[in-house]
Amino acid sequence: MRSKLLTAFLILLFALPFALLGLLAVGEGWRFPAALPPAYSLEPLRGLVAGGNGLLAGLGKSLLLASAVAVLATVGGFVVARAVVGARRPGRWTALSYLPYALPPVLLAVLIQPFIIRMHLSGSVGGVLLGLLLLALPFATLLLGSFWSQQATEYEQLARTLGCTPGQALRRVLLPLAAPLLRTTLVQTFLLAWFDFGLTNVLSVGKVRTLTVQVFTYVGEANAPLAAVASLLLVLPPLLLLLANKSALLRKP
Amino acid sequence: MKKTTLLLPLLTLLAACNSGDQAKSPDQTLAQSWPQIEAAGKGQPVSMLMWMGDPLINKYMSAYVKPEVQRRYGIDLQIAAGQGSQIVQTLAAELQAGQPSEADLVWINGETFYQLRQVDALLGPFVKKLPNAALLDLDNPFISTDFQQPIAGMEAPWGNVQLNFIYDSARVANPPNSFAELPAFVRAHPGQFTIPNEFTGMTLLKSWMIALSGQPKLFQGKFDEAVYDQWSGELWQVINQNRRYFWKEGRTFPEQLAPLHQLFANGEVAFTFSNNDAEVDNKVNQKVFPATARAYVPAPGTIRNSHYLGIVRGARHPEAAMLVINFLLSPEAQLKKMDPNVWGDHTVLDLAALTPAQRRQFRQLPSRRYAPRRENLTGLALQEPDPEYMTRLFKDFRTYVIEGQAIGK
Amino acid sequence: MKPLKPILPLYALLVLGLPLAGLGYALLGSVVVVGPLAEGFTGRYWRALGHEPGLGYAALYSLWIAVASVGLSVVLALGLVLRAQPTLRRAPLPGLLYVPLVLPALVVAFYLFQLLSRTGWLSRISFQLGLTSSLEAFPELVQDGAGLGIILAHVLLIFPFLTLLFQAIYQESRLAELDQLTSTLGASAGQFRRRVAAPLLLRRAAPTVLLSFIATLGAYDIPLLLGRPYPQMLSVFIATKLQRFDLRELPAAYLAGFLVASGLLVLILVLLRLVNRSRVETG
Repeated sequence: MRSKLLTAFLILLFALPFALLGLLAVGEGWRFPAALPPAYSLEPLRGLVAGGNGLLAGLGKSLLLASAVAVLATVGGFVVARAVVGARRPGRWTALSYLPYALPPVLLAVLIQPFIIRMHLSGSVGGVLLGLLLLALPFATLLLGSFWSQQATEYEQLARTLGCTPGQALRRVLLPLAAPLLRTTLVQTFLLAWFDFGLTNVLSVGKVRTLTVQVFTYVGEANAPLAAVASLLLVLPPLLLLLANKSALLRKP
Repeated sequence: MKKTTLLLPLLTLLAACNSGDQAKSPDQTLAQSWPQIEAAGKGQPVSMLMWMGDPLINKYMSAYVKPEVQRRYGIDLQIAAGQGSQIVQTLAAELQAGQPSEADLVWINGETFYQLRQVDALLGPFVKKLPNAALLDLDNPFISTDFQQPIAGMEAPWGNVQLNFIYDSARVANPPNSFAELPAFVRAHPGQFTIPNEFTGMTLLKSWMIALSGQPKLFQGKFDEAVYDQWSGELWQVINQNRRYFWKEGRTFPEQLAPLHQLFANGEVAFTFSNNDAEVDNKVNQKVFPATARAYVPAPGTIRNSHYLGIVRGARHPEAAMLVINFLLSPEAQLKKMDPNVWGDHTVLDLAALTPAQRRQFRQLPSRRYAPRRENLTGLALQEPDPEYMTRLFKDFRTYVIEGQAIGK
Repeated sequence: MKPLKPILPLYALLVLGLPLAGLGYALLGSVVVVGPLAEGFTGRYWRALGHEPGLGYAALYSLWIAVASVGLSVVLALGLVLRAQPTLRRAPLPGLLYVPLVLPALVVAFYLFQLLSRTGWLSRISFQLGLTSSLEAFPELVQDGAGLGIILAHVLLIFPFLTLLFQAIYQESRLAELDQLTSTLGASAGQFRRRVAAPLLLRRAAPTVLLSFIATLGAYDIPLLLGRPYPQMLSVFIATKLQRFDLRELPAAYLAGFLVASGLLVLILVLLRLVNRSRVETG
């Protein structure tokens, strides 16, 4: 009984956001004290297809940016993690990778902005990408560090002594071994970029209008329907990821 | 070898943002004739920084201006959010780094104009170059003077507005007719009044401060420390004496205007404010405000000001920016903008300079149903004081009201 | 794969170099050597620090929010893992706990505002049910002085994650078997939970819990939407200071950014020390 109550409570707790966001997205002229919208309209959703409000462009931009961050960070992290294991004082390098955890993304963005401007990257996708990599690359390095510190190095050497070329050792031995962890890292770094608002908002100077930036704009306009639509668009891809690969979502740095 | 292939997309991304056009010097740009400017500006992109806090304004820009300049000049107008000090900081950092700007066109007034001129970030004077500048009502001090600073051709007037109070006539039968009556009203209706801690709220505070002094003349000309200290002191006293009758007992204030509009729409507060006298019409038309919402200007008046368009000194496409501004000043674009169903922003054109047909169109605009008519506000318009008053009010409102520190130096 | 020589220096340049350069720039900005109104060295803003309670207050407020959010989340997660094992293992639950992991902080903040504000959904429902007679009768749950809304949002995001983490450790450490063992040795269930399970879970999860704590300390999205203009959390405090109308306040904003960033960096170094020591101790 207690168990059922608990389960029911948690279902309610976690389903409510989707219910309320859904209602907000289609509700029209919904004001206090009405408990349900007086009228329903698909206008915000139609606007999505018409593309007049840039939601679809925002979705595309967010997808592109998060995917680029995920791929670059995962590949980079794989390489860096391997280099860290071979370094003279790996502990130092691991400590270095924890540094971005100390700084809130928005503060990090504020600090590096003068240099982003000097690199001619202010307000560009490239600038935001660089900023996000600053967070995602160390994160990926830490996640993938556990792979290299285990037996992987030994396996690699074993493969080499058995006559594999470095390329073969990578393709036939290391990548298959690392596959589950690489998948987790891809998902995690994707989400890191996908969820980011503070850093993107500062570095984009309002120009790279990703979905999170749009949610904030619509909230600022007190435009609840469009903010809700953008929110739902933000939640959708991670939800699909969740269904596809649950375990990859749990991050354990 | 793997790494280079992976770095390639990154590098191309970085490089894509680096394609700066070889720009002319500011003097060379301004020395061109209008046909030369037209030729140089056509087919260029223009990057515009503007306040994006109002859906109707955003829609006017994206659904009307953007396609129009594309159709007329092949200009790709890209609009990005940015206002006030954010613009100044970005442009100043670009200037320091000695590089062309990411922005071409900025929507500014008052203290932003002042600060941009201080760091020499504006291109000009350029206004006289625009053919449509001949139609501007530059004899009107509310248009040719921006917070006591002559615009001197460094920014082009775009629209003209006046602060007003918005209330729901179904809930409030007798709103306070003057700033003097406001405190008594607030005490009689606790929890119904608040001041937004942003641009519009500061304009409200300025108007209130001038009303307390009873002498608008005091606030003309350069910033006067003694005048400010005396009357802002009075203002904080009145507010702090009554703040426990404010919304949420005056312990917090809305940070943006839209949330205050939302509080008003939901009936949580009795008043909201707008720097745009026709906003009540467009918000009622959009069904954001109840149909019983009305706007008015309390005695002895509120601040009337204009907002402007400036060109960035380091702009990559200054000619195209001029084409866009010239279009925004055209009778057609100004007429559209003044329609309360579109935006409701008052024109900066001198109607006498227009053709009779154009004049008729302006006169036949769907009238303001819920906002006071401009003719009736003649005696109720106050000039903007020096930008320093705004800057100081902003800081002191935070210190003495929001944070509640004791007044004293 | 051959170790690539320039990889690590490049990595350090990006991950350490750029933020440190930023920190240096902020330091120079705070003494007005750089910035839009650069005028040459002045220690004015450093000296004024003593008269400006804002930064200290923001730090205290952030500390309160972080302690309350993470503390509450830990208690909830421990409670679930230690007292509801059967439920946690049954069908909808493990999957259910993953749901908050797909919610961006900004969306959670927007949702909670729509749910809990005085004109929000709960207030409307309570009005319709006659529980409250007016807007004002509904308690202030967001943009409130104590930061209830901010704490709630963080708990909603952190506690399911911690529950999953504790559960993973619980299973990895075979605590269920240990539980049986201790009970055959005569220990009560309560003793096992208090003396054995809880300390073990906490010790092993400590680094992650501390990282959540630091992340909450620097939270931005949630307090931006659910907080008040005063008091503000650190990130919001610095960001708004940077966006003020008055450019002359910029050095003070740089100063605040420099101090907060330095403080957090020291905090993470201390944390790393602790983690390393506990690793050495536990072997």
